[in-house]
Amino acid sequence: MQLTLARHPVTDLRFDTPARLEGSILLIDRAELRRLVLEDESIVSVDFDIARPGERCRAGPIFDVIEPRAKAPGCGADFPGILGAPITAGIGTTHVLTGAAVSVLAEISPDPTRSATGRVLEMSGAPVEASEYSSLQHLIVIPHTKPGLPRQTLEKAYRLAGIRVAVEVARSAWNHLPTNLQTFEPVGPGEKGRDGRARVAYVGQIFSRQRKPAVDEPILYGANTDGMLPVMLHPDEWLDGAVVPSLHSWFGGTETYFYQNHPIILELYQRHQAREINFVGTVATIAGSDNFDRERHCRAAANLVKWNLNADGAVLSKYGGGLPHADLAETARLLEGMGIKTSVMVSDVSRDRRVESALLFNVPEVDAIVYNGGNGKQWEVPRVDRIIAATPEFTELLAGPMTIDASNIVGITNQQGASRMRAMVY
Amino acid sequence: MPCPYSRLSPRAYPEEFAMRIAHYLNQFFGGIGAEEHAGKELEVRDGAVGPGRLLESLLGNDARIVLTLVCGDNYAVEHQDEVTASVVEKVRHANVDLFVAGPCFDAGRYGMAAGALCRAVQAELSISVVTAMSEENPGVDLNRDALYIIDSGTSIANMRNVLDKMARLSRKLVTKEPIGLPHEEGYLRRGWLRDQLVEKKAATRLVDMLLAKMNGEPFESEMPPTAFAPIPMPAGVKNLSRAKLMLITDGGLVPKGNPDRIEGTAATRWGSYSIEGRDDLRAEDYEVSHGGYDTRFVQEDPDRLVPLDALREMEKNGVIGKLHDEFISTCGRSNPLSNTRRLGREMAAKIKRDGVDAVILTST
Amino acid sequence: MVQITSALPIAKMVGANRVVLGTGIVHVTGDAKLPPADEKELRRKLVQKALDALQSNERE
Repeated sequence: MQLTLARHPVTDLRFDTPARLEGSILLIDRAELRRLVLEDESIVSVDFDIARPGERCRAGPIFDVIEPRAKAPGCGADFPGILGAPITAGIGTTHVLTGAAVSVLAEISPDPTRSATGRVLEMSGAPVEASEYSSLQHLIVIPHTKPGLPRQTLEKAYRLAGIRVAVEVARSAWNHLPTNLQTFEPVGPGEKGRDGRARVAYVGQIFSRQRKPAVDEPILYGANTDGMLPVMLHPDEWLDGAVVPSLHSWFGGTETYFYQNHPIILELYQRHQAREINFVGTVATIAGSDNFDRERHCRAAANLVKWNLNADGAVLSKYGGGLPHADLAETARLLEGMGIKTSVMVSDVSRDRRVESALLFNVPEVDAIVYNGGNGKQWEVPRVDRIIAATPEFTELLAGPMTIDASNIVGITNQQGASRMRAMVY
Repeated sequence: MPCPYSRLSPRAYPEEFAMRIAHYLNQFFGGIGAEEHAGKELEVRDGAVGPGRLLESLLGNDARIVLTLVCGDNYAVEHQDEVTASVVEKVRHANVDLFVAGPCFDAGRYGMAAGALCRAVQAELSISVVTAMSEENPGVDLNRDALYIIDSGTSIANMRNVLDKMARLSRKLVTKEPIGLPHEEGYLRRGWLRDQLVEKKAATRLVDMLLAKMNGEPFESEMPPTAFAPIPMPAGVKNLSRAKLMLITDGGLVPKGNPDRIEGTAATRWGSYSIEGRDDLRAEDYEVSHGGYDTRFVQEDPDRLVPLDALREMEKNGVIGKLHDEFISTCGRSNPLSNTRRLGREMAAKIKRDGVDAVILTST
Repeated sequence: MVQITSALPIAKMVGANRVVLGTGIVHVTGDAKLPPADEKELRRKLVQKALDALQSNERE
């Protein structure tokens, strides 16, 4: 595995033909993109828009945010298992348009009982310092689906539309000179050259069986993870399109953008490069549907970390809502029992803002906890000049002024490690 | 120039321009006397008393302790409702902006009273309240979520430093300034959450924390360990007349000479002492190693803490099957959980080994 | 186990299942103000209460 990212910084987006990258300006061919998106029969029409940092502009509900990336010709498949054959991701050169994002809107909130607006992209005002997305140039994709389709069909349509567009616009980089190239250092349980350094693994949940996945729901190399046991992945597979979020969006926050730019994996790579640790690999796991399922996965994941990765320490993250904290804690507990030190990252589930209501586990050995906040913070946001939304109802709903929760702004709460919103105990 | 506090206390006398304070002290800090006066009833004094004088000066020229309430520690705990009602009334009548209790350091009864009074005053009069005590003080866990409790530590030598922190926090509360985090203001963690944007993203914090843990370096978990897990209730004793009972105390009763050197505070040790053939405990055979209460009465008659005589009688009458030949003792004063969890586990192991069916634990 | 104590709130807080109220901090199973015979009777009653709690399955 040798992944090379060829970075092309983007500072502006404009609509024009033909699609191309001129310096740092990305010219986007709407007609071409429309043809591509409409190949999916679930979508009857699609609009495109652009949102720039600092603009008094708001878009939502956001279904996903994707970084425009395209494999160099001959270097493999984009989103293998979804857009093409499931060949191994993370090999060869991938072109990246940094500073840009493709953001797909949904026509419905993922959970209207929890939030009428769903997750919102806020490009100006107080919330922007809390989300990386506010500093990117966004190509907004607004698909309109055929009426009467089941919810999961809509969600799959949004997923495919987003990644197709992201790959297509990134192909403009094929004939463009990258500003820099980053080749990741080899990592793995058998790699030499870091004797004496602590062997560290990452265990990340990629799905939660609090819900059953759709038969054709693509998550890991296009498979829906149903019935699957934990599996070892090379870190570059996460970074290069092997994993996408589930169709159901959780308010804890998971976007394709932060799989491509996985904060935890990139952090471990940095320490590996600096020879502080020996990054030995990762395990992708699933939060169980019941006690047996949980037991089965936690043990299998811990065993992989111990016997296959031979790690001394592991960092763990979760996916989904509250119950997956049990899987998180149990996996960590088992690892600690095997002599492997752990740290875990939890989401904020406290409703009454009391610490005692927030911790969903009480395992003395699992004592290194990073606490992602977001449940207690709100902002008063003003009326903005422009709303980008799929329906007139949402245009109305998002207009403002209004009070918006931190967990309802995309990029503030995040289960992949990107968040800087911490829940402080006082 | 308008009084900065006038909007907070509309009933304040205009010519005084003062932050008016009521202060609660126990019998010791109130100047009445030591442990032997712990049964003293609630008294009212005009103006500042004892540490209140220093507190007043630390609060500033415009601050006045107009009322000091002094009560014996035992009286306050044993008559909590009556004392609370009385204090609330007197504080209400005094028209103050602030109610301060303590500092209590590690005096447990004092801390419990201070906490209860602060809670009541806050709830019924809606004025600012501040207290101070050490983290292990039982008054903390009972009240930490409702009150700002300055961490005083256990040493009275730090009085000035503690009063200074109390003064600064009080001022902020009265002027309704935003209150910072526990380590910034010096108060004990209250158990509430608030969101804050921090410099490092979660991924960085997560890896930093693991590496610190792996290197044996200190790290601060963003989530503190939980409080008390529920203890499953063992089934009731079915046949008491056949059961073997054992007495345990955390009141610090030990044989004369304290052979196991059980400490009177934060005890790290416990002992098991023979009562074979004895029908009651005699004063000349025992002493009390416990810094947290007036031990005279127990010294006079140790059965007042470890009721051997009553249980021996019940053994003779067949009410219980057998009283174990030994009783276990340690000192529960200011004892951190890190100690007591271990002590309890060790005792439980012995109790099991000795075939004991049930235990009576007496606690001061 | 049954706990005899005057500090009821603490016992509750740490999760003790069987708790009986004692007679004051300085003499939890006694009362120095009573004449000896009465004190013994008080102690007997208190210990009986504790024994009752040991046999019961009600949390108190």
